[in-house]
Amino acid sequence: MVKNIRSLIILIVAIAILPLIFKSDSFHNVLVLLLIFATLGEAWNIITGFAGQTSFGHAAFFGIGAYASSVLFYRFNISPWIGMFVGAIFAAGVAAIISYPCFRLKDSYFAIATLAVAEIIKQLFVSWDFVEGATGISLPIVDDSLWHMQFNSSKLPYLYLALGLFAIVIFICNFIENSKIGFYLKAIRESHEVAESIGINTTNYKTYAMVISAALSAFAGTLYAQYILYIDPFMLFTLDMSIKIVLLTVLGGIGNIYGPIIGAAILIPLSETTRIVLGGTGSGIDLMIFGVLVILVACFQPKGIIGLVQKIVNNIKKQKVGEGKVETNS
Amino acid sequence: MKSKLALLLVIAMMFTLVVSGCTSTQTDAPKQNETPEKSETSEETPTNVDSVKVGAILPLSGSAAATGVKLRYAVEVAQEIINGDHPDIAMPLAEGMGLPNLGNAKIEVVFADHQGNPEVAKTEAERLIQNEKVVSLLGAYQSSATKPASQASERFKVPFVAGSSSSAALTQRGLKYFTRIAPNDDMETEVFFEYIKYLNEETDANIKKVGVVYIDNEYGVHAAEMVDKWLEAKYGAEGFEKVVSVKYPADVSNVDTEVQQIKAANPDVLFHASYIGDITQFVKKYKEFGFIPKAVVNYCGGFQDPQFTVNLGNDGDYFSGGAACTPQLFGKMEVVNKINELYKEKSGGVDIDGPALEEFASLMVIADAINQAKSTDTEKIMETIRTTKFEAPYFSTSAIEFDETGQNIHSASFMVQTQGTKYEAVFPVDVQTAKPVPFKDWTSR
Repeated sequence: MVKNIRSLIILIVAIAILPLIFKSDSFHNVLVLLLIFATLGEAWNIITGFAGQTSFGHAAFFGIGAYASSVLFYRFNISPWIGMFVGAIFAAGVAAIISYPCFRLKDSYFAIATLAVAEIIKQLFVSWDFVEGATGISLPIVDDSLWHMQFNSSKLPYLYLALGLFAIVIFICNFIENSKIGFYLKAIRESHEVAESIGINTTNYKTYAMVISAALSAFAGTLYAQYILYIDPFMLFTLDMSIKIVLLTVLGGIGNIYGPIIGAAILIPLSETTRIVLGGTGSGIDLMIFGVLVILVACFQPKGIIGLVQKIVNNIKKQKVGEGKVETNS
Repeated sequence: MKSKLALLLVIAMMFTLVVSGCTSTQTDAPKQNETPEKSETSEETPTNVDSVKVGAILPLSGSAAATGVKLRYAVEVAQEIINGDHPDIAMPLAEGMGLPNLGNAKIEVVFADHQGNPEVAKTEAERLIQNEKVVSLLGAYQSSATKPASQASERFKVPFVAGSSSSAALTQRGLKYFTRIAPNDDMETEVFFEYIKYLNEETDANIKKVGVVYIDNEYGVHAAEMVDKWLEAKYGAEGFEKVVSVKYPADVSNVDTEVQQIKAANPDVLFHASYIGDITQFVKKYKEFGFIPKAVVNYCGGFQDPQFTVNLGNDGDYFSGGAACTPQLFGKMEVVNKINELYKEKSGGVDIDGPALEEFASLMVIADAINQAKSTDTEKIMETIRTTKFEAPYFSTSAIEFDETGQNIHSASFMVQTQGTKYEAVFPVDVQTAKPVPFKDWTSR
């Protein structure tokens, strides 16, 4: 675990240094989005990667977090920092409420149920006048301030906030992975029946995982809303958003804490770059290239990029061991 | 082993990020423009540059891609007219090449695709301003994309001229660098009521009961709110009353329930805020259920798409709505006719429609403002946009002028009605190409 923490610190320090080397705002923009989506991927990894319960509805928790802080700021001028925690509490509450009936379902039925729940929540927000319904909320632009979580003159504060949030979430994930709850969740993932037979209360532990995952997703939602300064139900609660979270984690490597950051580091810059270079042509070729790359990875490296890296490292290690044996024999 | 793995991952991440970082260079907004001409720019010493960049953010992919591509053609036609020599078109900047007050500098439009996604719209607006150094932005068609994109331009103090985004909320945000050419749904609603009054006078239609049918998104909800606003403020006192209000989901696949609800209330006139797929479904169901209102008026959306008459043929007749242009007027308005000829070369023979003409006007206004300001300074361009009455012979009102909120006060649109699958201009009377016809039974068409 200590080694793992050292690796995580290396990763976070490296990311923190990057914007100081590459000072382009576009680069910073990519990094902010990358970190927000990596955070979401980490949160999703807890319920799906560790506990093996596929959720296609995480956009709902992300959206609740975004809406909670935005509505509080827009209607009552309450700081998004407070809204962030309110959003996390709401998202955790919703997760707890839906978890009990949903966790009675297994495998694909659970995935379908989460999909339906996200759609229901979207419809609620679309027809809820207090949160401006389908019209969405344009957050008022105020002077740069940490209290209001708005920085108009530079993206660096957003970047470091996103990095801070990502660091907290990845350490939480690392802690969970190596704690009792993490082992229980993995046991549930490997075999529900075996986990129950050794006395693990599977419903309770899956609910814990879902609640933690939802709260962390809501944190990312607040930061996203403050960054874009506009939200509506159609951009937050969509299946596209849920799929994006799933996609980047699967691409990077599901069930591994490095998976989401690897996936996000490939998918987000790739989508931004292809859109910038080819999007203006109007032929949609950027989206086609993006799709083909995703298909290639899904077909040839189902364990994700992290699987590929581990394979290469293992091969090198085996080679070294082999060479050592040859030398000893001679 | 894990440390090595982490290092490998960091290297991989840095590589992909650096690749993306390399696609963009640095970074100041044009307001603090480093161009030498800026500091010396004045009325007496106009700037001389080779080209001036303008950003166009449009939905070139996604659900509104078909419309986005049409808007792109219209913007390209405007660029062609400004940069080329078109003495036969009697409008500003057509004769001579480029911007005469800036040493015949060319307008270079940089297109960006927002995919109908507000997040992408904001990102693209920032990229165009910071990396491409555009001096003004236009777009973004969907109001939900125009909102964050124009907020970004406000932050960098770069003018944003929206062509066809119609949500009234856009000009109610107090933005100083945002203007809009299309009439908003507030203005459209008033025109609709005036048109109905005209119908009552001309055809003894006795229209009093109002029904509202709207899609559940920003466009539809806002349009419905404007009907309530005008009924309360003015037209309720003149005898109009709302008898039904039907909201339907954006991804509706069957409208039977909605149409039954409408038929039960039996309104005289329907105010429709729908896109092309939805309005097509509704009209088919009106026919199936035998619902015959006295009039149907449509906010800028599906009805204005020429596909409406293609989809519905004669069943689409006698519907009305606001439009900035109609092929029936091309004979009367020579300038639009010539613009349309250039447009048809790009669109494969399809005529220019209202939203496309409004997007065309956006670039013309921006270019005219740059030329009149004799500068690429965004503050000066914005000042010119705000204070100038622009000649716009391609609109029935022939002018574009913005009020303090940024709304064009000369409503670019008039009422058209489909008659014999053609869009005839019916109101106001001075642009009329045909008299409005009362809604006819489905069987006698």
